[in-house]
Amino acid sequence: MADPSKLGMEFPVYSIRVEKNKIAEFVAALEQKDDTEQINPLYRDVDAAKKAGYENIPTPPTFSTSHVFWTGGGLLGTIRAVGADLSKLLHTKEEYEYFAPVCAGDVITRKMKVVDMYERGKKEQTNRYMQVTVLETDLINQRGELVIRARTTFMERG
Amino acid sequence: MGLVFDEIQIGDVMPPYTCAPITRTHLVRYAGASGDFNPLHHDETFARAVGLETVIAQGMFIMGIAGQAVTSWIDHQCLRKFSVHFLGMTQPVNLDDYGNTKDRATITVSGKVVNKYEENGEKKIRCELTARDAQGSRKLKGFFVAALP
Repeated sequence: MADPSKLGMEFPVYSIRVEKNKIAEFVAALEQKDDTEQINPLYRDVDAAKKAGYENIPTPPTFSTSHVFWTGGGLLGTIRAVGADLSKLLHTKEEYEYFAPVCAGDVITRKMKVVDMYERGKKEQTNRYMQVTVLETDLINQRGELVIRARTTFMERG
Repeated sequence: MGLVFDEIQIGDVMPPYTCAPITRTHLVRYAGASGDFNPLHHDETFARAVGLETVIAQGMFIMGIAGQAVTSWIDHQCLRKFSVHFLGMTQPVNLDDYGNTKDRATITVSGKVVNKYEENGEKKIRCELTARDAQGSRKLKGFFVAALP
């Protein structure tokens, strides 16, 4: 069960460069395409991106999910770090706030912490008891600007 | 692209977006692209061990598809918020029983403008979103806020 003493815990900070091929791969997965030439040119062609008003190839709205678990044992390691049991976990909510575009070539620093932990239901009613964990992730670019704030809510069945 | 605040009315509908029937291969491709290697999404033995019939799609894959729906309609430089609640699991199509399973794996994202307002010097719309499979079962609901010219 998620360990309430982890409330406030900050995960190790790291930086990662946004790679254009990673963006294309991510978009190919979302567009269900077999290769990256078939995707929307905005996400593979720097000229198309510039024509659309970006400095470089932009990242789609949920792309940051691909680099918030880059270290620390990935998503599974992060779940273990809060003491939760993967087999009982549900991802119940995801929320993004966007402050500035993130494009290929940007260097993004990830700061993630546990911002909320609470119980739902009563412990005696095993099938209705839930432990909720909320992670907040700030993504900051090479100019020190907060570009995205993500909030991820997991519920763990009792 | 090119949506303008003054031309959007409350009640306007976002063009619906429908994905191809989701296969296990799509889930594996998304796992690789996103780094979500929760075995629940690709390993049937794990899925069965936790009491599911089969693997299920990553919630973030469905949210990503919803994001496709949004950015097919508005330029994503305009996005200010994007938020979803996950409501139901999505099982992929069984290739040995395509006809009977494709509907559960075909997701349509729809949306409607519910508010127009000004905030921090920006003209914003709030649009509510729902993703459903072809059987009508809801996968997620949420909203986005966009600042339009």
